Amino acid sequence: MMTKSDDDFLDDLFDAARNQVPTVPDDLMARVLNDAHFAQTAPTRAATSSLLAGILDMIGGWPSVGGLAMAGVAGLWFGVAPPAALSTWTAELIGTPVTVDLFGDTNAYFTEALTDG
Amino acid sequence: MTPPTGYWSDAPDGVILLAYAQGDGEAAKVLSARLLPRVLAQATRMLADQAEAEDVAQDAMMRLWKIAPDWRQDEAQVSTWLFRVVANLCTDRLRKRRGVSLDQIAEPVDPQLSAPARMQENARMRALSAALADLPERQAQAVALRHLEGLSNPQIAQIMDISIRSVESLTARGKRALADSLGKHKTALGYDDD
Repeated sequence: MMTKSDDDFLDDLFDAARNQVPTVPDDLMARVLNDAHFAQTAPTRAATSSLLAGILDMIGGWPSVGGLAMAGVAGLWFGVAPPAALSTWTAELIGTPVTVDLFGDTNAYFTEALTDG
Repeated sequence: MTPPTGYWSDAPDGVILLAYAQGDGEAAKVLSARLLPRVLAQATRMLADQAEAEDVAQDAMMRLWKIAPDWRQDEAQVSTWLFRVVANLCTDRLRKRRGVSLDQIAEPVDPQLSAPARMQENARMRALSAALADLPERQAQAVALRHLEGLSNPQIAQIMDISIRSVESLTARGKRALADSLGKHKTALGYDDD
């Protein structure tokens, strides 16, 4: 149980503490304002990062980016130098190209008709 | 166009904080001028160390800048939030000081530093801070908010997110513990025994 003198003693200490009103040093204010400026401009960088992260999320993250890059390189290579096996395979798949002259006899028929006429 | 600093003079802290979050160039200056003195004073009273108090004040303000984009004005007052942050940061630092003898703290380090009265007050403040360090953290926070900041029990309850009854209990037990620990050093601190 606290005695009256304990209360007085502590209250005096508390009063002394409450009376401490430190002046904000100029350099502390400068540091705080510098922090404020940094934090205020930081969200712009964060937003850029979020946009990239959002796109990555849509396509399945970084592993998907790697897969897309590989597919692109492979497609380019097949276009430049298609392997022989690929030609055979495509021939089997879609058949051998055949040239069909739809109007091969047109001139003869037309000429003959004119002659008969 | 950026409004002049005086434009914000009557605006609540929360409104200015939202303006800061939206890129207002003057809002940080207004908030710092308004809040930093009180933040630094709270830290100084709890820690009795200028360098540490300044670090805590800067840290607390940095947390304010960072939370600004997510600030919800209808949920809390900036001042209440800052009291809580500073109290937590200070008790973190006090925890690291635990076990430091009050005898060491009560002794002035350098008698040439200032006038005797000023030295004695510094010694008293360091002793009080050391005694707070030895309290359980919630007791230290409640005692500091009640007796060093002069806040009411309902205000402390809101800051600490506890009931008023809990605040009363914490402050009573904390004050009793301080009286026990500091009472042994009354003479050294310049208080005459009755």
